[in-house]
Amino acid sequence: MPDVEMKPAASKGAADDKKDAEQKPKEEPIPETPVDEIKGNAALIERGVSTIEPRFIHRALRTLTSLRKKLDETILNTAIEAIYPKDSAIKSSLLSWLPGSHAEKMDVDTSAPSTKPPPEPVPEVEIYLRLLIIYQLLKSQEKHPKALELTQQTVEKMQASNRRSMDPIAAKVWFAVERVYELAADLADARPLFLAAQRTASLRHDDEAQASLINRLLRSYINYSLYDQADKVVSKTTFPESAANPQYARYHYYIGRIKAVQLNYSEAHNNLQQAIRRSPPAKVAPGFYQAVHKLFVIVELLMGDIPDRSLFRHPVLEKALDAYFEIVKAVRAGSLSGFASTLAKHAAQFEADKTYTLIVRLRQNVIKTGIRRLSLSYSRISLKDICLKLHLDSEEDAEYIVGKAIRDGVIEGRIVHEKGWMECGAQKNAYGMEVSELFQRRIGYCLELHNQSVKAMRYPLNAHRKELADAEGARERQKELVKEIEEGDMDDDDMDGDF
Amino acid sequence: MATSLRSLYEELNRSFAGPKSDLKKCGTLLSQLKIGLIEAGLLIPQGNANPEDLIVARDILEVGAIWSIRSRDEASFDRYFSQLLTFYTDYASALPPSKREYPIRGLNLTRLLTQNRIADFHTTLESLPIPADAIGDNPYIAHPVNLERWLMEGSYHKVWNARTGAPAEEYKYFIESLIGTIRNEIASCEEAAYTTLPMKDAALLLFFDTPSELLTFAQKRGWQIDLTGQTITFARKDEEKKEFPTERLIQSSLLYARELEQIV
Repeated sequence: MPDVEMKPAASKGAADDKKDAEQKPKEEPIPETPVDEIKGNAALIERGVSTIEPRFIHRALRTLTSLRKKLDETILNTAIEAIYPKDSAIKSSLLSWLPGSHAEKMDVDTSAPSTKPPPEPVPEVEIYLRLLIIYQLLKSQEKHPKALELTQQTVEKMQASNRRSMDPIAAKVWFAVERVYELAADLADARPLFLAAQRTASLRHDDEAQASLINRLLRSYINYSLYDQADKVVSKTTFPESAANPQYARYHYYIGRIKAVQLNYSEAHNNLQQAIRRSPPAKVAPGFYQAVHKLFVIVELLMGDIPDRSLFRHPVLEKALDAYFEIVKAVRAGSLSGFASTLAKHAAQFEADKTYTLIVRLRQNVIKTGIRRLSLSYSRISLKDICLKLHLDSEEDAEYIVGKAIRDGVIEGRIVHEKGWMECGAQKNAYGMEVSELFQRRIGYCLELHNQSVKAMRYPLNAHRKELADAEGARERQKELVKEIEEGDMDDDDMDGDF
Repeated sequence: MATSLRSLYEELNRSFAGPKSDLKKCGTLLSQLKIGLIEAGLLIPQGNANPEDLIVARDILEVGAIWSIRSRDEASFDRYFSQLLTFYTDYASALPPSKREYPIRGLNLTRLLTQNRIADFHTTLESLPIPADAIGDNPYIAHPVNLERWLMEGSYHKVWNARTGAPAEEYKYFIESLIGTIRNEIASCEEAAYTTLPMKDAALLLFFDTPSELLTFAQKRGWQIDLTGQTITFARKDEEKKEFPTERLIQSSLLYARELEQIV
């Protein structure tokens, strides 16, 4: 199933875009043709660099995803021709990466834009264009080696220039680097590059690149199942607080994965929940949404909870979570044989999702659920019947398993060894210290949820300006009114109308 | 590679091979070899070393790991294993696979299990270079994986039976300490699950062969033994002391007040 394998990567791309897509409607109308769009973005970047306002650069980058899909070689060619002056060295170096740029075509083009030879644009524009070219090269399989070469060169250039205004673009470039290495070479080869860049970024307080790079590193480790190393990355770095939501969503997802492997399920559960909350709408980034939910369902089961039924009816998740739904049903029923057959049936999918080992751990939960159901329905049951009902292999083991369940507080009861049965005690009185503790935990959880949600809220940058303008207008009107009153040409009719 | 190193290596192989290996001699040879490896820059290889040298280095470390188990030195096994990981993961494509790799990985997993480092056990398991659904086919890995599963679900009888099914001689060393662990586990389960238990059955459940072993064990755990009736009575855990955690309640109330203040 190729689409499953692609998912993490695709979801990433989608995760980036989703936010961009979300905010786009608020933007002023975007120039129609892609060429104009690139030119407009280059101008925005210029403006951002000259006014030291990263806002403009962010706006230029926001269209990256939608632009990426519209690109082709001619568009890039024309855009580069238009942006750079006639005999710029950067222009020819950029154009050399585009196979479509034949010599004669260049001749034709050079004559046209010469009417307005703009000054040499800032290096940020060059990196931006390189980013676009990388994505263009990635579109076809045979150009991947070329993309790799260009990426390596771009990274060198980016690091050599050491400009703070480059940071937002650099963060995007790192994502492209990962993608290129994954498609064209071995992802592990990019690790030294990321590690070095991560060091530099944290020294320079380059939050955006840092957030992006930490995620790159985590992904690179987790992709090769090096959870130990990934855990060390998490403990040795601090994820920048100012990071964008999509980066946060990914970060939480990776931590959730690491914690789940380490059996720290409640922590994993928290992180995955954050990831879901911060992730873009399901329809925009379905891959990420599905991947997080797959893990989320398993972690919830491992914690002894049963996931919400409605989750499996969600239009985006319904199909993807099909196999997981069957597992949930088996765990809920406490049927070991059902669990084993479901596991065997979907083994390939779980293996591809990297959830197989986690699901195998559910076996004991299945047994516990089974015992619990028996203890609720019988007041006395022989060990042999338990063994039969739960499909356990031997009666000796049934005794140990029941003993363990009693000790772990799964059931209330005792074993009468001489008679070979289990007596189930009445349910414990549910009022006591544990209750207050439980409440405390739940309240803490709600408060945490509230705080995290507040933090996850985003405000449009200029919203307060509008309010200011409104206030300004109101004052203006008031002034006018005062003036009118002073002039005394306001009669009763006006009054009725106004108030 | 220096010839002195190679001759030492051959000597190590000779004294290690065979059913009765000379542990003491191997130990001295190993420490000499390690110094030699450091001098040759092979203990923690970097860059492109000669594959043949790397194989020798890996061999030496593997022998070292197995030797540590035989001489019951877990800390030393841990060190050898960490050094071996470089060869197993970073040079996996450059070197032919070693036939001792999986036995040693399995030993490491078993060691983590006996030390009750379950989280590490799973992390290590996850990073094995074999697909998860093929674990059952590898006897060296399947053994610790099964042990873990049985321990977690409480099938102690299966763990007991697995003593004989160990895939390699070295696993038995860990199994012995594992039995100690499960005895304690079973004992704590019995304390919770039974009120009284005939001594005969208790011995059976705890895998003791003689009553005297059971008696010493029972004394250690503070069980009441009725020798005439041949039964063990487990002291019920007293009803938990009812103490009102005032300080904690005040603390949490203050916390709620502060949080609510922020929200409203």
